[in-house]
Amino acid sequence: MAGEDRPDPLERLLNLVGLLLETRRPLTFEEIRTTLEAYRGDNLESAKRKFERDKDVLREYGVPLELVDVDRWGTEQGYVIPKDRYYLPEIAFTPQEISALLVAARSGGGQIALERGVRKLLYGAQGGVLTGEPGGPLVAGSDADGEVVVAAAAAAQRHDRVRFGYRTAAGAAGTREVDAWAVVFRAGHWYLVGRDAGRDAVRAFRLSRVTTALERVGEGSAPPADFAPSDHVRAGPWEPGGDDRAEVAFAPDVAWHALEAFEQAQEVRSLEDGWVVLSIPFHDAEALVAPLLEYGPDAEVIAPAAVREEVVRRLRELADA
Amino acid sequence: MPERSARPTRAAERLGRMLTIVPYLVQHPGTSVQEASRLFDVAPAELRRDLELLFLSGLPPYGPGDLIDVEIDEEDRITIRMADQFARPLRLTRQEGLAVALRAIELLATPGVEEAPALASALEKLRAALGPEVVGEAERIAVAGGGRAPTHLADVREAARDRRRLRIDYLAASTGELTSRRIDPEEVFAWLGHWYVAAWDVDADQERLFRIDRIRSAEPTAETFTPRGLRGLGRELYTATSQDLPVRLRLGPSARWVTEYYATTQIRELAGGSVEVTLPVRRLERAARLVLRLGADAEVLDPPELVERVREVARATLARYCDGPARSR
Repeated sequence: MAGEDRPDPLERLLNLVGLLLETRRPLTFEEIRTTLEAYRGDNLESAKRKFERDKDVLREYGVPLELVDVDRWGTEQGYVIPKDRYYLPEIAFTPQEISALLVAARSGGGQIALERGVRKLLYGAQGGVLTGEPGGPLVAGSDADGEVVVAAAAAAQRHDRVRFGYRTAAGAAGTREVDAWAVVFRAGHWYLVGRDAGRDAVRAFRLSRVTTALERVGEGSAPPADFAPSDHVRAGPWEPGGDDRAEVAFAPDVAWHALEAFEQAQEVRSLEDGWVVLSIPFHDAEALVAPLLEYGPDAEVIAPAAVREEVVRRLRELADA
Repeated sequence: MPERSARPTRAAERLGRMLTIVPYLVQHPGTSVQEASRLFDVAPAELRRDLELLFLSGLPPYGPGDLIDVEIDEEDRITIRMADQFARPLRLTRQEGLAVALRAIELLATPGVEEAPALASALEKLRAALGPEVVGEAERIAVAGGGRAPTHLADVREAARDRRRLRIDYLAASTGELTSRRIDPEEVFAWLGHWYVAAWDVDADQERLFRIDRIRSAEPTAETFTPRGLRGLGRELYTATSQDLPVRLRLGPSARWVTEYYATTQIRELAGGSVEVTLPVRRLERAARLVLRLGADAEVLDPPELVERVREVARATLARYCDGPARSR
């Protein structure tokens, strides 16, 4: 027992939730007051104030508290918590799924909505005691505020038109109005993709560059049937992959790292002096040459000739500067 | 950076916690106080206090037979009876549903997360049970690009979990040298497409961040360590030292990404989208190679030695192409 003189508000709140969940018909405040001792002690006015505060707490936590007509004539209104809106449906998760959800919940750097959501799901764990995180803890994140990402995803669900402040990659600040169509995650960044109303064109906005909250200004247009969100998100300056392949030789000390750094790179052969030739996929020569130059004299493009020439052209500019 | 949401009020927080923990305990009788406190991130004493209050709750007419029955046995195992109204938790709000789905998608899109298959099936179950209005419609949340996990990610994660000291061969970005070190790995984290670990560098006797794809080999040692609570995510990826040389660069619009990927300071915006920044480096060689990469998009303002160094590296590299046949022959 609590053993305190002042009753703990938690006790009153739990009783209120239980009462309104189990009641067969909506209860007026007077009926609630008659049933729950916690509201009886005070005079009517202060009991009412207490009840108002409790309602706010319930709604703050997301309890679906409804005020409905008690009878069909609408002479009186009462409170009820509909079970179908309150209870989480049963979802049976395997221990592996629960572990994965726990890893996800703890990877978020203290995002409250994420942690609360996953904790609610734990009740569906099948089997005995949970084993925790078998692979070891990890943390992952994007460079955008988690709440902005959730807001953008919610707007995309409803195809809202939203207004927000935005700073471009080139540093120009301004305001955008966008019909939200989708959110896309790419290499650690979240993007909102939709129709930019001011430009009448489909654009992608990196959410880490959004400088205000997303404000809903109305209903937006719907995307065309063949809309593919990820087509509109440009990669960084080092877009990996591509249909062409280049052969590049790397010095012995850095070849292993180049194999890690260039996506889908494959080792082709080793040379007599220990250099290693990798085959690297690419889209266009300029995009491939830039990261290669960071290896300085530890890398040499062998083929194709066009990429070799691009390297030489870039180096001449710097060598003769 | 993900930020903490506004803290809910104390009463709402405690109520929410009980409405979540009680269903779990009803479904999993015999869970220990310690286990529940770990799963739900609440101090054992606070959990006991709140569970004791449950004794006072129930349903009308609140006779002894109507109150919730909570039992904590001598081995700290919890059993709850007469709590049918709290046998299932509250639905996830849209905010919570989307937060879970978005984080799951981030992890699914991050190469090397071994929980990915289980996470994908959990997300599918969640979507089937709660519907798109809570979890979001799949086609409106997309993932682009791919990527590959670094070779030693699993080794480092396991060592962090088991608190085992590792010996690694590491290619330092700041010097370009391959060195052997002993590290105590703590937080493993993904950031902008790369995996890192926050670790204690035993030989240097200081905290360091290591990029896992720069680890050439990782061998567990016989030693274990006591975690210092090192955190990686959200920190500057580069720790400045007193030996750093300040390099001043003017970056064109298409080289602005440098300000997002390196710890630059004294950023000055120029007309037309260019920017001037100071980049601290440990070796000029490192800066020279970056300038080589940026080419016409960057101009070295200071120090003058760097201008000369860029020219030297460019000439040395060019020599491979001009002095003799390509290595293919």
